[in-house]
Amino acid sequence: MKTTARIVVPIVLVVAVSLLLQGHNLPGGGFIGGVLTTAAFALIYVAYGLDYLEIGVLGREVESGTGIFEHRSVTAYKRTFVFGLAVAVGSGLAALAFDEPFLTQTYTIVEHVPIYHEIELASALVFDVGVYFVVVGGLLTILSVVGGE
Amino acid sequence: MEPELQVIFASVLLPFVAAIATPLAYRVLGERTGYGGAAVALACFGLVASQIGREGTVAVPWVPSLEIAMRFRVDGWALLFALLASGVGVLVFAYSAAYMHGEDNLARYYATLLAFMGSIIGVAFAADLAALFLFWELTSVCSFVLIGHNTEEDAARYSARMAMVVTVGGGLCLLAGFLLLAVVTDGAATFDLAWMLANDEAVRTALREQGLFVPALVLIGVAAAAKSAQVPLHFWLPNAMVAPTPVSAFLHSATMVKVGVYVLGRLRPLFLGVEWTLLFATLGLATMTVGAALAVIASDIKRLLAYSTASHLGLMVAGFGFRSAAGAEAGAFHLLNHALFKAALFLVAGVVAHEVGTRHLPNLGGLWRDLPVTAAVTVVAALSMAGIPPFNGFYSKELLFEAAYEAGHSAGGLAWAYPVVAVLASVLTVVYSLRFLSIFFGDRPSGLPSVHRAPVALVGPPAVLAALAAVVSVTPETAVDVVVQAAADATAAEAHEMHAGLPSHLTPPVLMSAVTVVGGVAAYPYSDRLGRGIEAVVNVRDALRPTHLYDQSLTAVELGSSFTASRVHNGLLRTYVVWCLGTASGLSLLGYATAAVQWPAMSVFDVPLAMTLVLVVALVAGVAVSVAPSHVAGVLTLSILGFMVAIFYIMASAPDLALTQLVVETLVLLIFLLVLEELPAYYADVKRFVVARDAALSLLVGVTAFVTVLLAGRRADDEQTAVAGYYAEKAVPEGGGTNIVNVILVDFRGFDTLGEIFVVTIAAISVLVLITMRNRGERR
Repeated sequence: MKTTARIVVPIVLVVAVSLLLQGHNLPGGGFIGGVLTTAAFALIYVAYGLDYLEIGVLGREVESGTGIFEHRSVTAYKRTFVFGLAVAVGSGLAALAFDEPFLTQTYTIVEHVPIYHEIELASALVFDVGVYFVVVGGLLTILSVVGGE
Repeated sequence: MEPELQVIFASVLLPFVAAIATPLAYRVLGERTGYGGAAVALACFGLVASQIGREGTVAVPWVPSLEIAMRFRVDGWALLFALLASGVGVLVFAYSAAYMHGEDNLARYYATLLAFMGSIIGVAFAADLAALFLFWELTSVCSFVLIGHNTEEDAARYSARMAMVVTVGGGLCLLAGFLLLAVVTDGAATFDLAWMLANDEAVRTALREQGLFVPALVLIGVAAAAKSAQVPLHFWLPNAMVAPTPVSAFLHSATMVKVGVYVLGRLRPLFLGVEWTLLFATLGLATMTVGAALAVIASDIKRLLAYSTASHLGLMVAGFGFRSAAGAEAGAFHLLNHALFKAALFLVAGVVAHEVGTRHLPNLGGLWRDLPVTAAVTVVAALSMAGIPPFNGFYSKELLFEAAYEAGHSAGGLAWAYPVVAVLASVLTVVYSLRFLSIFFGDRPSGLPSVHRAPVALVGPPAVLAALAAVVSVTPETAVDVVVQAAADATAAEAHEMHAGLPSHLTPPVLMSAVTVVGGVAAYPYSDRLGRGIEAVVNVRDALRPTHLYDQSLTAVELGSSFTASRVHNGLLRTYVVWCLGTASGLSLLGYATAAVQWPAMSVFDVPLAMTLVLVVALVAGVAVSVAPSHVAGVLTLSILGFMVAIFYIMASAPDLALTQLVVETLVLLIFLLVLEELPAYYADVKRFVVARDAALSLLVGVTAFVTVLLAGRRADDEQTAVAGYYAEKAVPEGGGTNIVNVILVDFRGFDTLGEIFVVTIAAISVLVLITMRNRGERR
């Protein structure tokens, strides 16, 4: 299990990020990327346990005895989804600066899509990144808190 | 002359703005906030008074899509009511500043009182049914807050809730009645009351044609009866007397309880007819009698005044109920007279309670030496209440007698009961008015402590009211000229020149008045025996008391709701699932059934073999899940089901869905692996009933999903829908992406996605909160 996780998790993470980035033109997107990332983390949890990320990867000490809510990873996850929400809302607000309506429900474009010569930089990607972080943060919070029980 | 829009709006909005500013003002002014409130009320009074003589409608659009507007109509009736509200408001605020000395929560008290005044001025001017309903309910809410001013007291809470239930319940009837009116005039007016009054003939015809005349009339009648404390909904008013006395004087005698009467006067030209007279003349006279009888046996001076208020409201309702011009004049004139004398009497009751310390009638007497000015005020006000000539109450009561006599004379037969009952109720009125006067005259009971002179701030406001009552008594024609004539005209079907004054020759109504005065004075010495007789009638059956019925129905509602809660909301997740899924499926199926949807033709044979195979495996897995012997087996078979669905998506060329399904399935499998060992292997013996219920529910949900997909799904030979075509066309040029699903998610329907990520966040937070709370629960 641990050996498999060692090999699979990096691949899964790379795939997840690529899904996120290519989402605008090929199958993928923020939501799928987020869920896949969460799945990778879940795999680590199942294989190594909750504290592995802190001790093994980041090399930090874990204070024993504190509850799951004070766990450093959980705090980080909470920050992640708040950050994602801020990015998503911020990308919507940015449209206001260009005199466009904030995420209206009509079928007008919400984001501006400046097209460069070869590479396409869609501002929708920012929104999608926000979605990605919310999904990762939210699901991991649930996962680790429930898993910590 | 047209009214000025800004002035009317200012007079309605000013109190609300002041109410918002009150908490801040209270920090600066402290208990002097009352005088600030008086200044606001005076400003409103000035604004309203500047519109005297003008007539017309002004409007500002509010909800244009529903044709709702902030529409204000100015006429004599509206001006009279608004002047009363703001004028009595000035005195009540000034009185409050002294009376509420040292009380808690004064900021809330003054803010609510101000908001109430704004609402009542709003009711007076509103000429849009939606706006009228809004202001009507606002007065109920303010009344609730003010009755429950002493939040610590059980009695205050009980009475506040009772007033709320009755008046707001009545308000719902009003809404229903208004909606009937709006439906009938659909297209022409919708909520425009001014238009309805201008085209009353058309509205009446439309109502009659659709058979909604009587329902609308009854609904509005119930609303007015609840608000204006008519029998049998009068019981909340005496209980509302737990409120501070200025509130009783302002809300529960002078203004709020008159809202029902006011609306009756407003709608009178629209509904006037046989049914109208039958309903409101009877209701009003019954209330007049019952209220007066109960006032005779009341021993608390505020309760006495409360029952008397109900009785006088009955007089106004009866007045408006009669067809003749005298009826409308009686209602409009008595609205003014009653506000003058009854508000004064309430403020007097407050002075007595404040200075003597008791409101118990048998313990009070001979106070005129201690409180001479208050006694003089009371003489004017109480004799006016009794309708003794030449005090102002006499003129309006005389008009009622005239209307009742005319009704009896023209209809004959049973209609003769109208004048008879009116006289009977008036005799009782004289008796209880004299009882109230007895607290200042006669022997001083031995137990009474020494009483200080009341401060000017307390005696001043009732003295002003009594002085006004005296002015009206001396020159009733002046009052008629200034406001009452215009008010009566607005409520009457046709114009009629109004006269008020002392009678010069003997007519039947004058005879009725003479009988009233003589009978009342003669009966007063026997009021104890009379009281015992009334009590014997009242106590016949407990079940007949409205309060008792109210308590019982409230208990029944409470029992019913706790029973429902224990069934539907019992804290077990599986129960919630049953109710949610069952209701959703049932309602959807019901919707399909009532819409009589077409069953699409379908054939099972053109499905590719591979797809059939995948679906069969999924089906087998589904069955296997439900009979799985262990958790591990269940989770694994569930995954097989999930993966089969994912493969199905791929075959149906939906790569994004398939990808999501696959990833989510993996994640769910991992989570199950995490929690699996925590789950108990054995719960309990399976109950047959539960199994049957769950199976039925599953079947129901399955059928609903199946039917929905069949009906809503796009069939192979259907054209692409406009929306789908739009998305496919615009994805590249406007969204800049070739993955339409993703472009829809982040570009076209970005708002939905934003909502969804908020849901994810909320879910995460709820899990955190739930688990934290569970731990707390365990510790406790």
